Amino acid sequence: MTLEHIRPESLHDLLKAMDTADYTLFAGGTDLMIRKRQWQGASRRFEEPIAFINQLKELRGIEDLGDHYRIGALTTQEEMATSGILPDYLRDPYHQMATLAIRNIATVGGNIINAASVGDSLPLLMALDAEVVLESLAGERTLPVTELIIDKYRTRRKSNEILTRVMIPKEDFTGYYYKKLGQRKASILSKLSIILLYRKKETLEDLRIAVGAVNDKPVRLPAAEKTLLATGDLAGYLKSLSEAFESADDKRSTKEYRETVSLALIKQELEKLFS
Amino acid sequence: MTMVSFIVNSKPVTLETDLSRRLLDVLRDDLGLTGTKEGCGEGECGACQVYLDGDLVNSCMVPMANVIGKSVLTIEGFSETEAYRQIEAAYIEEGAVQCGYCIPGMVMATGALLRSNPHPDLEAIKDGLSGNICRCTGYQTIFKAVERASKEEVKK
Repeated sequence: MTLEHIRPESLHDLLKAMDTADYTLFAGGTDLMIRKRQWQGASRRFEEPIAFINQLKELRGIEDLGDHYRIGALTTQEEMATSGILPDYLRDPYHQMATLAIRNIATVGGNIINAASVGDSLPLLMALDAEVVLESLAGERTLPVTELIIDKYRTRRKSNEILTRVMIPKEDFTGYYYKKLGQRKASILSKLSIILLYRKKETLEDLRIAVGAVNDKPVRLPAAEKTLLATGDLAGYLKSLSEAFESADDKRSTKEYRETVSLALIKQELEKLFS
Repeated sequence: MTMVSFIVNSKPVTLETDLSRRLLDVLRDDLGLTGTKEGCGEGECGACQVYLDGDLVNSCMVPMANVIGKSVLTIEGFSETEAYRQIEAAYIEEGAVQCGYCIPGMVMATGALLRSNPHPDLEAIKDGLSGNICRCTGYQTIFKAVERASKEEVKK
């Protein structure tokens, strides 16, 4: 049996192929190669046609466009972690993902489109109001990351579309808190992760909070954040958050641990911020 | 099957293979470069690490489609460099090798670390080797070896 794997040399060639058949897009492959693993020495058995896209240089690179950062979908996680352009609140979560050898091939777009509940870039991008650009032969459309992600492993990307870039608004945050908890310090899938971004001058002017790996999709409550900012009602915000949690026991952690620890860590950080 | 061309240890190679075949299998089975080991086969242990265009990668996770036109350096190629000799001497001096199975990957990761950070502290060493698992040593002698290698004068 011959599988129709393709390796187009340009984005246009890829879009033309995707217009006529369903392809599984294969970028760095750090998720797909493992999902399809077999015995030693065997080729990975992909039942569906694969489009290898990692060679598409036009989908690579980090640019500062004044009011936002433009990140090519095939930019590696290590390029994010070590970028001289990006601020620490963006670099730090990427640095804590996986390990160097994986970050060197795993891509920004792959972590988004894979849409794992433990994808560590998702809470960060949701907290930053990041948008993605999806392109097909028919043209482009832009979607906030929070709308793109439906839930675990499901996105609103259509089968003839490819995520080409991520647009991250630039903000003058004065500080951030990032905590990722797992069984060990490095090379782990998160039990939970918390990103908290803020701008505090005379008063607290902006505040974003997102929690990853608890629900199937990261939790962010923009309306509750606004109320918290206006009223300083910590207990009210934490109550909203705890009502939004719908975790479950699994091999990595328990519902009780994830939700209790998330609330405790956020409470601790908020108390510092509002003191 | 597709004809693919790439470079291994400074030599051009062309061979016929599936695009979804792992670089690890091509190195070991087709090219006889058995210094690169298979441990977990899922990117956790680091025994299969090589450099791809200079970047440390797990060759068990890289399909041949992503190697076309690129340059691969394995432990065999790395062992001809001065950077390698310095790391090897430090590993021997500290007694950092027991069964040895993880060592090709450990040495590749050590090389990558020292290239980006020539004088790492203990935390940076742990971070740099966090993708490599060793079941013999308990890591302490390996950390010492990396520290020793970082203190040796680089001989050009």
